[in-house]
Amino acid sequence: MRTVLLANLRVHAARLVATVLAVVLAVGFVVATLVLNETSRATALASAGAPYLPAAAVVTSLDGAPVGVGALLADIPSVGAVAPSWQTVLPIEVPERAGVRTLLVGSVAEAPELRWEQLAAGSLPDEPGEIAVDRRSGAALGDVLTVLVPAPVDRTGGGSGEPTESSATVTGIVEFAGSPYAGLFGQAVVTPAQAQAWGAQEPSELRVAARPGVSPDTVLADVSAALSDRPVSVLSGAQQARSAADDLTRGHLQLTAVLLVFATVAVLVAGLVIANTFAVLLAQRTRELALLRALGATGAQVRRSVLGEALLTGLVASALGTGAGIGLAAAVAALSGGAEATIPLVGLSVPPWAVGAGLLVGTLVTLLAAAVPARVATRTSPLAAARPMDAAPLRSRPGAARVVLGLTLLLPGLGLLWIGADRAQVLVAVGGGVLAFLGVVLLAQLVIPVLVAGAGRLASRIGGIPAQLAAGNASRAPRRTAATALALLVGVTLTAAMVVGAATTRESSTAAIAAAYPIDVVVTQGSDPLPRSLAGELDAVTGVGASAPVSVAELVGPDGQPVQVFGIEPGAGGRAVRSEASFRLPEPGRAVLPPWLATAYGVASGDAVSFTTGGRALDAVVTIGDDDQSEVLVTADQLTATAPDAAPAAVWLRVADDADASATVERITQASGTAAPGSAVTGMLAQRAQLDGLLNGLLLVVTGLLAIAVLIALIGVGNTLALSVVERRQENGLLRALGLTRGQLRLVLAWEAALISGVAGVLGVAMGIGYGLTGVNSVLGGVGDVVPVIPWLQLVAIVVVATGAGLLASVLPARRAARTSPVAAIAG
Amino acid sequence: MSVPLMTIPDEAPPPARATAVSARGLRKTYGTGDTAVHALDGVDVAVDRGAFTAIMGPSGSGKSTLMHCLAGLDTPSAGQVWLGDTELTRLGDDQLTRLRRQRIGFVFQAFNLLPALDARANITLPMQLAGTRPDRVWLDDVLARLGLSDRLRHRPHELSGGQQQRVAIARALLPRPDVVFADEPTGNLDSRAGAEVLGLLRSTVREMGQTVVMVTHDPAAAAYADRVVLLADGRPAGEIQAPTAASVIDALHQLGD
Repeated sequence: MRTVLLANLRVHAARLVATVLAVVLAVGFVVATLVLNETSRATALASAGAPYLPAAAVVTSLDGAPVGVGALLADIPSVGAVAPSWQTVLPIEVPERAGVRTLLVGSVAEAPELRWEQLAAGSLPDEPGEIAVDRRSGAALGDVLTVLVPAPVDRTGGGSGEPTESSATVTGIVEFAGSPYAGLFGQAVVTPAQAQAWGAQEPSELRVAARPGVSPDTVLADVSAALSDRPVSVLSGAQQARSAADDLTRGHLQLTAVLLVFATVAVLVAGLVIANTFAVLLAQRTRELALLRALGATGAQVRRSVLGEALLTGLVASALGTGAGIGLAAAVAALSGGAEATIPLVGLSVPPWAVGAGLLVGTLVTLLAAAVPARVATRTSPLAAARPMDAAPLRSRPGAARVVLGLTLLLPGLGLLWIGADRAQVLVAVGGGVLAFLGVVLLAQLVIPVLVAGAGRLASRIGGIPAQLAAGNASRAPRRTAATALALLVGVTLTAAMVVGAATTRESSTAAIAAAYPIDVVVTQGSDPLPRSLAGELDAVTGVGASAPVSVAELVGPDGQPVQVFGIEPGAGGRAVRSEASFRLPEPGRAVLPPWLATAYGVASGDAVSFTTGGRALDAVVTIGDDDQSEVLVTADQLTATAPDAAPAAVWLRVADDADASATVERITQASGTAAPGSAVTGMLAQRAQLDGLLNGLLLVVTGLLAIAVLIALIGVGNTLALSVVERRQENGLLRALGLTRGQLRLVLAWEAALISGVAGVLGVAMGIGYGLTGVNSVLGGVGDVVPVIPWLQLVAIVVVATGAGLLASVLPARRAARTSPVAAIAG
Repeated sequence: MSVPLMTIPDEAPPPARATAVSARGLRKTYGTGDTAVHALDGVDVAVDRGAFTAIMGPSGSGKSTLMHCLAGLDTPSAGQVWLGDTELTRLGDDQLTRLRRQRIGFVFQAFNLLPALDARANITLPMQLAGTRPDRVWLDDVLARLGLSDRLRHRPHELSGGQQQRVAIARALLPRPDVVFADEPTGNLDSRAGAEVLGLLRSTVREMGQTVVMVTHDPAAAAYADRVVLLADGRPAGEIQAPTAASVIDALHQLGD
């Protein structure tokens, strides 16, 4: 039988293209996901974990309080060096650059073996007065930076003095690419002494190096023993690095999990397509197989031959798919390396287990999918070789057991889905989703032919006889039609679910983000008051969408204490603030009080409150602000009426949605620095930008999924039609003899494809909407309100693309059917 | 299509018999050079209108190929074929297809009916393909003559072999074609059902004036025809007027010698 098997593979290699393609796509998807996951993990480890990798041990305070055990550690004999991590955030002026920029300043280790910073130029600071900065800071080597060191804050919270000016010379440029802190603002490192002098917080983390010749494990053990009674955790450098990397990639891991779910689905779809392909191949070879049986091959030999073919095909295709997956991952890594990603991927990590998994999954799926057709082939009667092709089109009805099992899976699955969405339990929802989908798979044989027949009746009205014939053909082999539609259904459901999920997530999180970060950028005064013209000037900056000036005056509150009261023009304020969900703006005649102040005054919402100055009173009705609001806010008109000397204190800015956040912040910093030296630029734009980037990445992934789903669907529909053409050769010949033109015959197949894929498309979109909404509810329901969004245009596009793909898939089989002369077909 | 449908007289066929189908110098060659096989090697033939003509010959004599060429199913390598005034050998595939739909009826040996359609839909299929409606009176007449009136809702697999062939004959007759071609119409039937089908074919000729051309290798079937055209090795090998089973067997024996 081996000679037959090999001869078959040689002769019919072209027929296996569909199987190979399906396996390559699915395996490629799996391997690319695994490789990208490993690469992003390795990158995260290299970037977020970089500070810890050189350390033998890392001591971290468990309660966030200073560790304060540096001296104790230095006394341990096995310890070589201790590096405390000082950190502070400082306003810094860069020469020849207007404005003050905020820099995250850390400390560099004194011991060379604990230094991890990557230098692009120059050297790391060795003594106070030296600083190494990243490129985002905008400073160059040799620049002398002016650092505005805030006066130390005393414990009573009052009496903050003027900031003192200090200076530092740039000695090096550091690469922080891939650092979790690489946001919109720059980073810098100085010596620990300098960081301390600039008021850095006492370190809550210490990195410890081993004395030369001492094993890191010894150090770890010694440090752990010495600190056993303190509220600190002691981890090895590698452990701490991994934990830091995990913190950074937690979001990415979720993405990986989602991708792996899709990969699983892709593998399932591929399985359906492969099973179909083998059914096609074996149907084409019925006579050949029967001849083998007649010549003395046992059923087992025939089955082994078919399975052997599947094994070889699966192995070759999986190898190709693994290669394709690694290539795809490399392409994605190369693309993302150029972009401003949170974690730019560096290099490519191809773990051997990912390659193994790809090969195994592809081969197993091919074997399993071929098993059913192989069993059918075993039953080929030796007589089939001599018999003409069997024309009896028996309608197979799905068994009652199948229906019952389908319903017992579907109904509890739907219930679990509902509970998962309602209670925001992802795992419950996923379990329910899987159960429900298995139920749908089992019921598909019952439902899809009915739907196709219904659609066919509709189509006959438009398409005439070809559509009518196509509808008849499609409902004649319900099992095959269902299998084909199912392959497409899976892809479409998946894609529609993602589209709905992404749109809903975007809408929901946009609302949530807006509520969490109501104001993009705030420009506040430094030592000098802001000029009144500043709001107008900033409004003209490219990328600024709206601006609102805020004025301030010191009034006396009901408790007799002075209080700063801020005034905002409600219209302008409303435009500059993204969401008033958790940020209250004053209506005319009202004063927004921070909750703690309302408590101190003993007033509640709706009560009257009065502030006084110079004999005039500001009377307003109390509105209680959100927890995060810390200032008394009234309308600008009311404030100036009471306190005509109210001075500009800040400008709220809203950045246009389509503007480049980073560049706009830079322009705002320049403009405010020029107009009001000493003014500071702060805001939540960075966080917004990062979340937006994540969502955009998600949408990109959806597009990729759509492409793969469509590709696999093309193969599946094409296969079914090919089988249709083979099985109905005589029938099509008869139709041609009776007067069906070539064009009409092609139309019949096109209609059949359109019916199957259209039904799968519509059903898939309907299911996808359900899955998408429940999915998002189960994931985000616990975090905040979910705003359901159904992007109809994209969903219609999916149906159109699916149907179009089906039509496209009918082209080749239809051409083949039309080429066959009626005489040859009738002769059999 | 401007070709007029043939008008079929209600009474006996006209005394002056015209030619319904004719071929001149017909050749059909498969392969080239040394491996070339001449299925038809110069055939001239004319089929009378309103007559039942049988084409006979041993296996490989080219009788099926001849029928396919005459019916516009296959294109000859050389020579001309006329259906009435229309030269088929000048028509393209789509024109041939439309001509088959309107002016030619077929009854094949097996696989005559579309399994997905019931008997009625099978019968009206060519007319639906042509986008025309069957004449109700004529349809009822044909169905009554063939005894199919109570079987219209049956699907092919619910019908016996003889019933299936009767459905095929009804389908062939419905568009009132110029010629009905039957290719071994009794090949898959037992002798009783076969005799019934042949009788029906002969009565369509006698009673409706239909022209029928039948390919067969069965002398008993050929005996139903008005005339038998004999074929051997792709060439004409004589003909028999008013054949009987015995005279056909004789003629075939002579061909074999």
